Amino acid sequence: MNLMKLDIQLFAHVKAQGSTQNGRDSAGRRLGAKLADGQTAKAGNIIYRQRGTRIYPGKNVGIGKDHTLFALIDGVVKYERMGKDKKKVSVYEA
Amino acid sequence: MIKVRVKPETITVSGHAFYDKEGKDIVCSSVSSIVTTTVNGILSLDKKAIKYSVKKGLVKINIISKDETTKKLLENMIDLFKSLEKDYPKNIKVERE
Repeated sequence: MNLMKLDIQLFAHVKAQGSTQNGRDSAGRRLGAKLADGQTAKAGNIIYRQRGTRIYPGKNVGIGKDHTLFALIDGVVKYERMGKDKKKVSVYEA
Repeated sequence: MIKVRVKPETITVSGHAFYDKEGKDIVCSSVSSIVTTTVNGILSLDKKAIKYSVKKGLVKINIISKDETTKKLLENMIDLFKSLEKDYPKNIKVERE
């Protein structure tokens, strides 16, 4: 019978590597402004991607079912205030 | 907790000390050293006196020869475990059956 090899950690508890249930995240949705103030827009161009109405549709701007704002006519994009604390975006003919 | 089961024919040392994490567990390292020293001591005197099996957290010694030296070395090992048990009752326990 061979001699025993000395392993002074023979009765040590090896803690399983910490495993976490976290560590998942969805890809970014690339929300936000697609056309800035003063830029020209063509009819149908998307101006602003958002969740809910952070910015409201103004003149010549439509709103999709996912609250995406888009130009209804060709023109220049204008971000404006609406009431005390809201914003809206409009498109004015160039 | 490390359990030392002493029977007439076999001695089993099993479990984990849980005194501290790996690399710092002094109870575990002393138990490992005591067992290894005793087993190697007996085998170097008489290769056929005992048989042993070892894996992580378990050493089993089968006592084959009843000679005085083997008996004394094994008794010494058990006494050392008992003194460890006094100092670290939560980490090692000796049971004689």
